[in-house]
This record gives sequence, structure tokens and C-alpha cells, in this order.
Amino acid sequence: MVKTFTLRIAVLVTVMLITLPLFVVPYEVSAQTSTGSITCPYKGGTLIIIHMGDPKSFNPDAKADDPLYAIASNIFNKLVTLDVDYNVIPDLAESWEVSPDAKAFTFHLRKNVKWHDGTPFTCKDVKYTFEAMQKYKGVAYSNLKLDMLEGITCRDDYTAEFRFSDSNAPFLGFLAWYGTFVLPEHLYNKTEYTDWMDPNIPALSKPVGTGPFKFVEYVKGSHVTLEANKDYFAGAPCIGKLVFKIIPDAVAAMQSFLAGEGDVLGVTPPLSEIPRINSTEGVLVLARPMPSRYFMAYNMAQEKGRITLNKDVRFAIAYAINRTEIVEKAFSGYGFVAKGMYVPAIAWAYNPNTQPPSYNPAKAEEILDRLGYTKGPDGMRRLPDGRVLELKLVIWQGAQTEAMAQIIKENLRKIGIEVKIEVLELGAFQEKAYKDKDFDMSITNGFWGPDPHNMHMRFSSKGSHNLPGYVNPVTDDLLERAAKEPDLEKRKQLYWQAQEEFAKELPYFPLVDVVGFYISRTDWKGFYWELPGKVGINVYAQVWWAKGVTTTSLQPTQTTQTTQPTQTATTTPGGGLEQWLLPVVVVIVVLVLVALVLTRRRGT
Amino acid sequence: MGLASYVAKRVLEGFFTVIIAVSIIFFLVNLAPGNPIYFIAGDPVFLSPAVVEYYTKLWGLDKPLYERYFIYISNLFRGELGNSYRFGGPVAQVIMERIPLTLSLTITSNILAFIIGTFMGLRAARSFGKGLDSALTVTTFFFNSIPGFFLGILLMLTFGVHLRLFPVAGLMDLRNPKTGIMLYLDIAYHAFLPVLTLTLILLPAYFKTVRDSAVQQLGEDYVLTLRAVGMDERRIFNKHVFRNVILPPITLLAIRLGFSLAGAALIENVFGWPGMGRLLLDSIRERDYPVLMGIYFTIVVTIVVISIILDLIYGILDPRIKSRG
Repeated sequence: MVKTFTLRIAVLVTVMLITLPLFVVPYEVSAQTSTGSITCPYKGGTLIIIHMGDPKSFNPDAKADDPLYAIASNIFNKLVTLDVDYNVIPDLAESWEVSPDAKAFTFHLRKNVKWHDGTPFTCKDVKYTFEAMQKYKGVAYSNLKLDMLEGITCRDDYTAEFRFSDSNAPFLGFLAWYGTFVLPEHLYNKTEYTDWMDPNIPALSKPVGTGPFKFVEYVKGSHVTLEANKDYFAGAPCIGKLVFKIIPDAVAAMQSFLAGEGDVLGVTPPLSEIPRINSTEGVLVLARPMPSRYFMAYNMAQEKGRITLNKDVRFAIAYAINRTEIVEKAFSGYGFVAKGMYVPAIAWAYNPNTQPPSYNPAKAEEILDRLGYTKGPDGMRRLPDGRVLELKLVIWQGAQTEAMAQIIKENLRKIGIEVKIEVLELGAFQEKAYKDKDFDMSITNGFWGPDPHNMHMRFSSKGSHNLPGYVNPVTDDLLERAAKEPDLEKRKQLYWQAQEEFAKELPYFPLVDVVGFYISRTDWKGFYWELPGKVGINVYAQVWWAKGVTTTSLQPTQTTQTTQPTQTATTTPGGGLEQWLLPVVVVIVVLVLVALVLTRRRGT
Repeated sequence: MGLASYVAKRVLEGFFTVIIAVSIIFFLVNLAPGNPIYFIAGDPVFLSPAVVEYYTKLWGLDKPLYERYFIYISNLFRGELGNSYRFGGPVAQVIMERIPLTLSLTITSNILAFIIGTFMGLRAARSFGKGLDSALTVTTFFFNSIPGFFLGILLMLTFGVHLRLFPVAGLMDLRNPKTGIMLYLDIAYHAFLPVLTLTLILLPAYFKTVRDSAVQQLGEDYVLTLRAVGMDERRIFNKHVFRNVILPPITLLAIRLGFSLAGAALIENVFGWPGMGRLLLDSIRERDYPVLMGIYFTIVVTIVVISIILDLIYGILDPRIKSRG
């Protein structure tokens, strides 16, 4: 009887295993030789990026869409763009001029640019893009201050002039950054479309850009495939195909990369795994400082009895926090103790002379003693009314933020301050921290670039998202004036002064500067992080297959299955996927049922 | 009561169940803290009042909650689920794209777990108290206790990363794209580990239900009689005990299928499987109310429909139930 039972299981397993060899039939190896006009050391090949998520749409200017940003950077171009050092470099505009009052910006456009469908790119595309952004409140609307945009004039097909009603000195930096890709006017601007997100616009599902790669297909949740644009204005890209393989889970993404399923790991892995990834053969990990930082905002909103409104308390807390410990424990050492009141990664605006307080718990105790918060028998400090000095630390869920909060809690307990940590899911955090200001201290992280005007957004009373709720006429005025100053040297002076004032008042305490990781297989070269000044962030136009040059055999590393892929047209169905999946279910079920019926019949 | 009126009554009940459930969910979803507009600009630092105003109008969030509720319900009656905040497209389309992918995992693994679990349960009951019984009980107990995503990671590490027998994550092989029949086999190959994970964690419930009720049946008179007349032990089990223990696991299967639309979220996440679960998690994170409502609506309808069908099947499988209707 045991025999028949095991037989049943055996049949099931066999049915599954028999089909296995079918999957591991290797594909035919075929060489990709190309005689392109561009001097790529090697031409052809498919580069697979392990990618963070599904794009929300293919309009890169409508909403914040980080998964789309990396993809769109390869399909579209901006007027100007940023290199990996966050310097503004030319893109569709070869050169530009700024008026002395920083109200007018003139861009001279490239003349040899074509959209992927062959239509020439001209100034009317630029005009349409930014007018649509203004009308439909694109994601860059507030960064670019489009509420002040009076108009865009096409002086000829290749000269675009932007006029603002007021000085807009940070314009270029933001123009080079996010949500500013130039869209094809001839495909978007039709009277039958209600707006630029109208589902009837074909370019929203099959994007047409001017960039180095053309869109081929998108299978939701699985991948986006692009192919080289042979007519790209800077010359055809070296690789033949660029695939974004979508795996949002950090651990799964890392494992998939290590198993050879991708060439670039575009999803930041758990920091504790960095050493292991780095020691994997054929994998290169590069680290660069980013203009992103974790910081702790004190609640500065006016309210009676709010203890963080006392500058001395803010300093005492800052002295008590051991940021080195935070970097080591919460970031496994992969971060920097935040320097200055603005990020060093944006070097020109960073004032190295103003530093936040460094770890000195004795000084913290001294300040608190002086303020009269005496310690009770339990070692915790008391408020004048006898209650324990307790502060609420509001954070959002995340391995790093939660670990940081724990360390801060321990640090502050040592000087007699009780900390109550409140961990919120991101949406709730934004409601509670940004909107309701229901916290004493709050940790968040964010991008502090691309222009120091970011300080205006974060810490001016007129800023769009002032987490501390800070109001200071001195810094407000400095940041306001800096935003109107076209002269870079003078702007820098104003931002330096603002940083001095922030360091004096300490409405926020910078904690950790983020390290960016660039993880790729050594088989490939020419990534944007190796080419500052030459290629924009996220653009893979100059990547080439290094192994193709040194070996004649066309087998990259990894599994036996991997081959140098052919350039055959992709016929993978996008929407037809469903048709294939239901049969999978049916076949498995039928096989199992047949197996069971057979064994049952034998039994009776 | 005739069958037709019985069905009519159940359908009417189901209808009201759906309306009530959708109403409760509507208020829960909309009253939860967080605001979908915060996600328009990514980092809220880049959000301006003009943008907030634009999207508040566009999505009708400026209207009071009760008004939005009546709009939603009346749209629902017209078969409209609205447009996704995140994707812009119709919710129905967003969901329909994911359903087959999720069902291919959950239905397959549920049916596998049902069949294997039931037979393992019967087999264990047959050698009640002996070594095989204990071995199976302990094994299933282990899989019952282990969290699904963790088992998924273990299987992924073992079979994907170390043994390289199966792909680690994703839906298909992108290095060597397949077409036609090979594409479908490739997808099945990629589905193997997630299906295995789900089957292993779903199996213990079936096993336990069947084993326990089969053990109970062993004490019944009819088993004694059949044994007394010398009937083959296997036949007793496969024909008579089987008939009496099959109802509970079928109920379990039906309930599980009802939840199968969103039930594999964490495992889908581990294996990068683009199903409903992942859509649900993403929609919760970014407060995509229309998609969230659409998913919950689909789940509620599925569960109601399945429970109606289940009642009918019960009538067929167990004649005693029909007379009660």
C-alpha cells in the first residue's frame, strides 16, 4: 500500500520533471557583427538591467515616476541634463544663454535630431512640452516655477526662448533633472485628446522619443525592451538591445543579479549584502556620495510649551546623538556622517565652514542641567511640572530609519531623555509629519539637489515642504535672494550665509549622507558613472560588451543558457500573455488528474 | 423550496453582501491616513499647491466623502470601476492584466495542495499511529509553521542560486527571449518555484483536515462492518471513507480559491511575479484608491460567487443538505 501511495507522488513529480529538459535547451549561438559608423570597441549585445518597478505610464513628465525615469532617460532627451556629478551638461540644447536678471533663458537646439518615427525635432516640440507641463501641472511644474512662465518663443526652428515674470536662477539645474523630457508635439498635440494623459494617445503606450534607444515592448510586471536607435544624433549606441527586468523586491533583485539574470543591479540591495556582492567574481561595485541625506527635523511650528522650540534643547539633543554609531550600525558602514548644513556632493554650494554639532554627550548633559531639566531617581529628566521629559520621534517604515531611531532612542536615554518612536507607513507619515506636524522630532531622507534651491523648498517658510515648519526671516530672505541671482558666485555667497544661519539655529540636524552603489558585471564597460561630463545619468548609450573584444567565443559568464543574443525582431506578445497562462494551469491540472485517475484505477 | 428560488435567494443575499462589503471597504480605504496626491511628485518637497489643486479636482477629491461614495456606487452599477491614479488607465484593465498571472499560481498550487494533501491525509490515517503517519504529520507541521515568503527565499536560494535548476525571479527568460510554445513553457518554468512554495504552505491544512476526519471515520460502524466482511483496506478508504471525508477539504479549497486573488502577495513579491498581490501592495503604498477598491471588489464578488456555488455543490455531494434548504 505504501507502494501505491508513493507511486502517486512519484507520478506527479515525474510529470513535472519530465518537462524540465525542455526548458534548458540552449539557444543557438550567433555572432553579431556590425560595421557602425561610431567607434564602439564592440557592437551589439543585450544589456539587462535589474529594475526597481513598473512605470506608471510612458509620459515621463506627468507624475513622479522613478521606475520610468531610468527607462525614459534612454528613450527621450531633455534640453540639458545632469552627469553623474550633478553638473549641467548639454543634451538637446547645444548651448544656452541666461539674461542678467535671470528672467530669460535662450536655448540653441541641435539640428540633426529626429524623433524615432522619423519626424524632425524642432523648437515647436520644446514649446509644446513646457506649455503642456504648465497646463497639466507636470511633475516639474513647481521645480521649474512654471507659474511664473510668461511664454516660450521659437525665434526659429532651433532657438527657444523662455521668459519668466520674475528671476528664476535655479531653472537650469531643475531643467536638467526630473520630469523635463521633451515630448513629440506631433503625437501629443491633437484636438481630440483631453490632456497629455489621454489613454487614446498611442505614444503613451508606445513611447516615441529622440533618445539613443527605441521602444520595442513592455510586458507589465516583467520587462521593458528597447533597441538601439541607429539614427541617434550622437551616433548609434554600442549595444543592440537594452532590457529592464522588473523585480521590485531588493532581495529577489539581488539574487536574480547574482544568478546571472542581469548585468546591472538597478535596485539597491540590502546594505549588509554589499560585501558579498562585491566579492562575487565578475561583479564590480562602485560607491559614490549622493546629494541625498537622512536628516532629523525638529518641530519648529509655533505652539505653546513645545520643547524643541528651545534652541539649547535642539543643540543638546544633537550633541547626544552618535552619528558614527548610526552609520556603522544602521548603514553597515555604507554612508557618511553628514557634513555641513547642505550636501557636499553639490560642491559649489556646500559651505565646509559650518558644521552641525558633533557627538559630545557631556556637553548635552551640561546644557540640560543648566536648563533645569533635573534627573529623577530613575535617571530620566523631569519637566518643571514633574512629568518625564519624553519626545516623540516620528519615522517611516524602513530598515535604516528604524535602526536609526533605535540608536537615537538609546543615545538620548543616556542623557535622560525618553524617546517614543512612532513608525508609520509612508503615506501616513506624510500626513502626520508633513501636514499635521504631529511630532517632536522626525527623520526623513530626500534628494537635496539638483540645485541648492532645494534648501528653499525644505527649510523656508515659503517652501513647498518645510518638514520642521521653520520660519526665520533671515534665512527666508537669503534663500529668496539666491533664487533671483543669476551670478553663480553671488548665489554661492547667499547659500553659504544661509547655511551659517541654519548651523546657528539648528532647525534640522543632518544625520547621514547616502552612498550610491553602481553594481554591474565586469563584462560591460562605458557606464554613465564612468563617464562624468560625457553622458547623462541613467543613459546606457555608451555601454559596450568588453568581453566581446577579448574573446572570440561568444559566451558571457553565468549559465550554459546564456548566449550573445540575436537581433531578431521580438515577437513576444505583450497583451497576449494571458492566453498562454491559462493553458499552463489547465495543462498542469489535467496532467495531475490523469495521473490520479490512473493510479486510482489501479487501486480498485 | 425549488432549486430556482433557492438560487435566487442566495444570489440576492450575495448581492447585498457585496454592496455592504464594498461600502465598508470604501470608507476604510478613503479614511485611512495618507493622501494619493503626495505621490504625484515623489518626494513631497517637490509638490506645489497648484499641483495639489489640479489633481484634487481631477480625481474629484474636493467633494465630500459621502458624495464620492454615492458617485462610486452609482458608477459601480454602471460597471465602471474608474481610472487608476497611478497608471491613468481604467482600473478594470489594470486588474484584468494581473488576474491570469496570479490565478496561474494560486489555482495551480491550491489544486495541487488539495489533491496531494487529501491523499497524504488518507494515507496517514490508514497507518494511524505508525511511523509514516508521524513522519507526514511532522513534515506538514513544519510547512504549516514556516512563513511563506521565508520558505520562498529558502527554495530560491537552494534551487535558484546554488543548484541553478530554476530561475531566481521574473516571468520569463530575457537573455534568450522565447516565442510561441517555448515562451509558454518558459513561463511555466519560471512559475515552478513560486507554485512549489505555495503548494507546500497550503498543503498542511488539507492534510490535517482529511487525516483527522478520516481517523474519526475509522471508529464508525460501517468501517467495522466493511472490515468484517473482509473488504480490502485500500478499497474501504478509497471508496467509502473518502466519500465521507471529502467535504471539509472541498470547503477549504473553495474558501482558499476565493482568497486566491490576493493571497499570494508576499510570495509574488519574493519571486518577482507580476500578479495581483504585488499590484495590491503597490496600490496600498501609493494610495491608489480606485485600484484598491477594484481589487477588493473583485475579491468580494469572487468569494460570494464561490460560496453560492459551494452551497449548490454541497447539495449534490451530500443529499442531507438539500432538504434543509
